[in-house]
Amino acid sequence: MRAEIIEKLRRVVGKDAVVADETELLVYECDALAIFKHKPDAVVFPETTEQVSGIVKVACEYGLPFLPRGAGTGLSGGAMAAEGGIIIEMQKMNRILKIDTENRIAIVQPGVVNLNITQTTAPLGLYYAPDPSSQQACTIGGNVAENAGGPHCLKYGMTTNHILAIEVVLANGEIVRLGNPAGESVGMDLVGTIVGSEGTFVIVTEITIRLLPKPQAVKTLLAAYHSVEACSQTVSDIIGAGIVPAALEFVDDKTIHAVEASVFKAGYPLDARAALLIELDGFQDGIEEMSTAISEICRKNQAYEVRVAKNDQERAQLWLGRKGAFGAMGRVSPDMIVMDAVIPRTRLPDVLLEVDRLSELHGLAVANVFHAGDGNLHPLILFDSRYPDQVERIHKLGEAIMRVCVDAGGALSGEHGIGIEKKEFMGLIFNDTDLDVMGDVKSVFNPTAMLNPSKIFPSRHACSEIGRSTTTSTAAIGKRVEAMLLGGSRVDH
Amino acid sequence: MIIDGISVGRNVRPETVAELASAIADETGAMVPMGSGTQMEFGNPLRAADCVLDLSGLSRITTYNPAELTIHVEAGATLGQIQSALAPNKQALPLDPWNGPSATIGGIAAANAQGPMRAIGGIRDWIIGMTVVHVDGRVSKTGGRVVKNVTGYDLAKLYTGSLGSLTVIAEISFKLKAQFPKTSTAIAEFQNFQDALAVLGGIRKSPLQPIACELVGGAGQANAIWIRFGEHPAAVAWQNAQLPSADWSVIEGDLESAAWERLRLQHAKLGPVVIRVVGLPSETGTMIEQFHPVSWIAHAASGIVLMAFDNADRVPHIREHYPAVIERAPLEMRRSVATFGVRGTEKRLIQEMKQKFDPEARLNPGRHIDGE
Repeated sequence: MRAEIIEKLRRVVGKDAVVADETELLVYECDALAIFKHKPDAVVFPETTEQVSGIVKVACEYGLPFLPRGAGTGLSGGAMAAEGGIIIEMQKMNRILKIDTENRIAIVQPGVVNLNITQTTAPLGLYYAPDPSSQQACTIGGNVAENAGGPHCLKYGMTTNHILAIEVVLANGEIVRLGNPAGESVGMDLVGTIVGSEGTFVIVTEITIRLLPKPQAVKTLLAAYHSVEACSQTVSDIIGAGIVPAALEFVDDKTIHAVEASVFKAGYPLDARAALLIELDGFQDGIEEMSTAISEICRKNQAYEVRVAKNDQERAQLWLGRKGAFGAMGRVSPDMIVMDAVIPRTRLPDVLLEVDRLSELHGLAVANVFHAGDGNLHPLILFDSRYPDQVERIHKLGEAIMRVCVDAGGALSGEHGIGIEKKEFMGLIFNDTDLDVMGDVKSVFNPTAMLNPSKIFPSRHACSEIGRSTTTSTAAIGKRVEAMLLGGSRVDH
Repeated sequence: MIIDGISVGRNVRPETVAELASAIADETGAMVPMGSGTQMEFGNPLRAADCVLDLSGLSRITTYNPAELTIHVEAGATLGQIQSALAPNKQALPLDPWNGPSATIGGIAAANAQGPMRAIGGIRDWIIGMTVVHVDGRVSKTGGRVVKNVTGYDLAKLYTGSLGSLTVIAEISFKLKAQFPKTSTAIAEFQNFQDALAVLGGIRKSPLQPIACELVGGAGQANAIWIRFGEHPAAVAWQNAQLPSADWSVIEGDLESAAWERLRLQHAKLGPVVIRVVGLPSETGTMIEQFHPVSWIAHAASGIVLMAFDNADRVPHIREHYPAVIERAPLEMRRSVATFGVRGTEKRLIQEMKQKFDPEARLNPGRHIDGE
């Protein structure tokens, strides 16, 4: 990057808050989806909204691409500088500005780590509901950009249902506040439109979030099955019975064996073909009856064991296995790809059978551990990157699984986003008109398309790049084959 | 038909999305989408109206999958029609807009109409996908039919509350909720306004989680708190037992439904001007004391107060302190005061959005912020 630009950035944020050294920049060449890499030209660390605005204005002055980045835990390449330019790293904007216990809201900066909010508000009897699995590291700004989910979104909704107001820096550097602490849309719901726009509309610099009272009671159950069909039928039956648990997670035998051989050992039954981890929460009064009803549904579907955690320690143990599942896979496979897709919940039994069939056809093991209650699959393709033929087969298998999910009436992503990872698949779901309209909305917020370019829209869809060259970077071309797929490697999810 | 003082010459009543798209493509004048017409006093006065797009013919429930807890409906289906279809499976769309069960679902979405159950979310929180028709007749979709989805931009949020000024909503997909195993409503009257506020304060600081919490009153009248719980029967009973001390009457079943219907009719009589003032739950009392409405219904758990006035004169003063939307007002008053009062960069963004979707301003021209 030209010294003149670096100097201008330093004038905005101070001389120690700009990284332009080639070696140091390597750290920022990807997010948690490590198969897509492109180095930024500079990384800047603002501490105030005004500094973010100043950085954006410098980027605009020189016609440089720019994008925000939080902790870089994203799994779709959303925080990767696909065309170089400036990464605006938000981690120094990490203060919780206000907690209003009576009105159950908090005002936070985007670099605050998700879990810190719950930890800080817990003594006040409150918590922040969306709990992506990376919540110990991921930032709330990244959650807003991706409309992050998590196991407990089944009952409490996604990030978008918990964001009341935001302060943002527009793509021209203007600062504007949108929404209000009541979460009441006045005019148009620009807040709702921005949440989940994957950092391609605006840069969020302050967020007012809804806090919830901590549930009085929590009940966690483990149900074990000898068949995947019976296990997934239980999910449909629970939903069909109108019970919405706080979480309803599926683990298959491959996952169970990996977990039980690892430090995440949770006591899952090794002879199970599949198991459900079910959590209920709410008021103390009534939770026992709901737990009994769930147990009956499980048994009716031939669960051979239904275990209810007797105390917090047992509960934590059961969750340890689920939360450590991805990490535990390292014991059974040197590499893995985490996929993310959604299907209608009632299609779980047949889609899982089809995934098994495809796994055999392509000669690659697939483990399943996912948010079953909302049909959000996370097939883990296990492979060894030392064998090039396996890498090639992964791409074919991944695409085949994605097509099965779309054909079942599903969607490309439940919580990881499209980013650069799945943009070439957008045509499976949306036609040209749908994409044109999305491009129109993007162009209102981001008319030069310099804010986080080359994301979400398929390469052939010129609409996303209105007003600028549509040339794809060398790195992106090199990764075109990978763009047919899907997911990172060795990710702590 | 006369809308906002304009005599509208044409009326089309399509019965399929394709017919709707074709009618819009063929129309060259200003179009006014209309469901059952319950919200026609909401919004800035139309600048022009040549053709009413009567959506009552698009009233099918296209797919209802009880096991999936999702439903897909055409925009002209009424809320009552949808709830009736869901009831045999003990499912519901947890919405209770003030305009009632005869309102069409497309109209509720376009107006972002809400009621007391706003405490557990508005229509935006239950929509999972939408099909819309653009001013040139193109049909596009956003979202999908699954309950969790981040594929592409969530444009249903943009269309919800846009008053038919960007696109015409043709179909909506919803996620559903099981009916509450039990509901009950506790009502208490307070002669002293401060006593009512103290009880509301106690509720806010308690672990109670009402699905609706209303403060209903008027100048020189008693105030009433209506608090509704929906949960497992044991949890409803527990919450009722935890209510701060007051002379509560707890009602259930038909009595409860009838009471809320009475409140809905009371809301319908508020006015002639109703302003939705947006603050914080803890500011509910302050807002009422500061602006002296004639009467009010406050969503006290959400910080939203519906204030009734004889005229719109107080609106500029209110907007110095809080965002405020004119929810209902006679035409001559809507001509003199902006419905939304959004300013600055936010207003510019919304105007640019309108320009992008409807460059010739032919969809409800002037009704949204383009009329301010």
